[in-house]
Amino acid sequence: MMRKAGEIILLLLLPFVMTHADGTHYRMPGKPTLTSCRSPEKETFTCWWEPGPDWGLRTTYALYYRKENSEMVYECPDYRTAGANSCYFNKNDTSIWVNYNITVVATNSAGSTFSDSVDIDVVYIVQPNPPERVTATILEDKGWPFLRVSWEPPHKADTRSGWITLFYQIRVKLEGESEWEMHYAGQQKTFNIYSLRSGGTYLVQVNCKPDHGFWSDWSSTSYVKVPEYYTRERSVWLLIALFSAFIFLILIWLIHMNIRSLKHCILPPVPGPKIKGFDRHLLKNGKCDEVFSTLVVSDFPPTMSSNYEDLLVEYLEVYIPEEHELMLEESKDLHDGFLKSEGSASDSDSGRGSCDSHTLLMDKCGEVKEKQTDQEGGRMGTEAHTQQADWDESHEDMVSPDMSSGRVKTWPSVFSPLPQYSPSPLHHPNTLETAWQQQQHYLSDTLLPADSLSSDLSQAGHNIKDTPSSNYWKFCLSNKRPHLLQTDARWHLQAHSDVNISNISHKEAPACTYLSSLRSTEYVEVQRVNEEDRVLLHPVSSERHDGKDCLQLCHGEDYSKVKGVDIDNVLLLHREVMEEEVDMCLCDNQETNGATESCYTTITPQKPTSCIQAQAMSGYVDTATMFAQPSH
Amino acid sequence: MAYRGTNGSSLFITVLYVVAACRAIPINDLLDRASQRSDKLHSLSTMLTQELDTHFPPIGRMIMPRPAMCHTSSLQTPIDKDQALRVSESDLLSLARSLLQAWSDPLLVLSNSANTLPHPAQSSISNKVQQLQEHSKTLGDGLEILSGKMGPAAQAISYLPYRGGTDLGQDKITKLINFYFLVSCFRRDSHKIDSFLKVLRCRAAKMQPEMC
Repeated sequence: MMRKAGEIILLLLLPFVMTHADGTHYRMPGKPTLTSCRSPEKETFTCWWEPGPDWGLRTTYALYYRKENSEMVYECPDYRTAGANSCYFNKNDTSIWVNYNITVVATNSAGSTFSDSVDIDVVYIVQPNPPERVTATILEDKGWPFLRVSWEPPHKADTRSGWITLFYQIRVKLEGESEWEMHYAGQQKTFNIYSLRSGGTYLVQVNCKPDHGFWSDWSSTSYVKVPEYYTRERSVWLLIALFSAFIFLILIWLIHMNIRSLKHCILPPVPGPKIKGFDRHLLKNGKCDEVFSTLVVSDFPPTMSSNYEDLLVEYLEVYIPEEHELMLEESKDLHDGFLKSEGSASDSDSGRGSCDSHTLLMDKCGEVKEKQTDQEGGRMGTEAHTQQADWDESHEDMVSPDMSSGRVKTWPSVFSPLPQYSPSPLHHPNTLETAWQQQQHYLSDTLLPADSLSSDLSQAGHNIKDTPSSNYWKFCLSNKRPHLLQTDARWHLQAHSDVNISNISHKEAPACTYLSSLRSTEYVEVQRVNEEDRVLLHPVSSERHDGKDCLQLCHGEDYSKVKGVDIDNVLLLHREVMEEEVDMCLCDNQETNGATESCYTTITPQKPTSCIQAQAMSGYVDTATMFAQPSH
Repeated sequence: MAYRGTNGSSLFITVLYVVAACRAIPINDLLDRASQRSDKLHSLSTMLTQELDTHFPPIGRMIMPRPAMCHTSSLQTPIDKDQALRVSESDLLSLARSLLQAWSDPLLVLSNSANTLPHPAQSSISNKVQQLQEHSKTLGDGLEILSGKMGPAAQAISYLPYRGGTDLGQDKITKLINFYFLVSCFRRDSHKIDSFLKVLRCRAAKMQPEMC
């Protein structure tokens, strides 16, 4: 019994044992998988599959497909064309816009295994072949080489009819590099690449893609060598370097030339106080009249005043009182004023009318300024005033304003804070001061319009500073002196101004007589120097109507100038003459008045010229007369 | 009298200008533009399909209707290249126009369904459907102009009604499946239109062989 059961069990187990002994024999094939299906030209397609494990058994694979509208199952028509484990569908078997249901079946002795089905539409699986006949050549564009790549579409793809639309792509790299340079070429079949490295070797590849599909594989590599153009690059760099160096040098030179203006631009100097026309440096130098020269406005007094005619004083009655000595104080203020006055007005010719007497003084002024202190200037001022007084006293004729075409009209100082000038002579001491002040202004006014003359002055090369100084002396003095001169003197000054003006304008005086008479009032003689070191001047009262005077006047040399102060504190005046002929009237006047001026004493009636000539170039000259010539 | 003369002359000039202007755009240029538009249309539908694929239930593929179920499948179109190249230009254009016309209603349905599509990329899908509608409309207008220049045969349009109804389904799966199916049908039809137009373009561009 037991033996029978064991045999039965053995018999039953036998097939199992036998099966295990030969396990692979009945193993079903592994499941294959369809890897991909591709159509290169939308006319045919191929499918590939991956076989599963075959367990060593002979396994056959079959591909079956079914089209979407029918239930018919077809087997792959061509297993060979596309290689192993592939199925190739030729044109006749290919339909587009039709779904294929494809299945691969692996069969071996044990059985068959079906793969997963795949639905494909041929139009969605298009992947063309790579472009063919890729050529890469080096061409030249104006001496610079570039790479031209050209190719053709894969011969199977029908692009001519428009069945397939292909887009191309190029990739380039230098031999030895790892990174490719990609270029998209669109639908064109040529492409240019610039900026090549001289002497390098380039690898070129092209691929393509249909409008709705996959990129193809890269074409075979084309090699191209770029010729050497290295030297040209180098020379270009050299040129650029040289040019830059040149430009740099030029810039440096320009900066060097303009360093000052650059400094001024970048670091502007801190502006100091600035009064228009006021020069601080001149003030330091002590040139009184120059300092104020620019302050004096040329159109002041207003020439276009409506009251012009009213204010215009054409000629005046001049009355010279007996006492006309000036007591001049030397004061600091005077000196300051003097200095100031010296520094200011550039031209004082108009005022010089009355300042004719100043010609004697101007010289002195310049010299004094150089050597001495303010005291001299004060003296000068006084002298000027005395001169004026003398003029006023001596002159009795009316000065016709018509005498000078360029005559500067004199006005009372309506423009000043001083009281209104009244034509009538004022004998008040108060008025005297006022008058003086007015006169001063008047003088300055007369001076002002003669800016042109002052320019002439400079042109003529005269010492300008002497010219205005005398006028300014008067200013300085008049400010401080309430009774410097009599009112008559004022008149005289005015007259003198007019006279001067007339002299300035007319070199040839039509009325010699007149001029000569004017001349008579020009000179001031220094009477004495008082205890306070003040020069007392008195006008020379001689009357001149000689022809000599005329001559003098005609020649326009009218003003004597201060030559110097001698040891006795005598103001030395001499007359400066432009022309050679000199009227000795001056000398006569001097003598008659007993002037202690050395010049006068030295001047002889026979030889006035010499005296004058000697002083010709020394100092102040009546610039008005001097410039009358040029103006004419 | 003078006024009338002025009117007549200005009218003549206007007509002349219009004729000149109309002649200004040649057919190949029009076809180029149309094919570019159709290319864009197809690209959009492809992207839409791919987006839907990202979250598509596997079972959906099982019960997906077959492509033969597309409402435009009744239209006879060439199935290979030789057949396609034998079709005349007018017929090709007519086919293209018919297909395009057949999709005007279904696109509306798609657009409506896209708003409530049970899909994670619903907004993007909805946006793309919107663009599909726009491009489709523009292309239809362009093809109409083209058909006027290509003869009476091009003017004929086959009527392909859509009978799917306005609602794609009740449940989510059905909705999604039907949506996917419609989009796949449209994808194919747009590819057909694009291919036909590109063939027409190459035929018309005899002066520019480099285009084809």
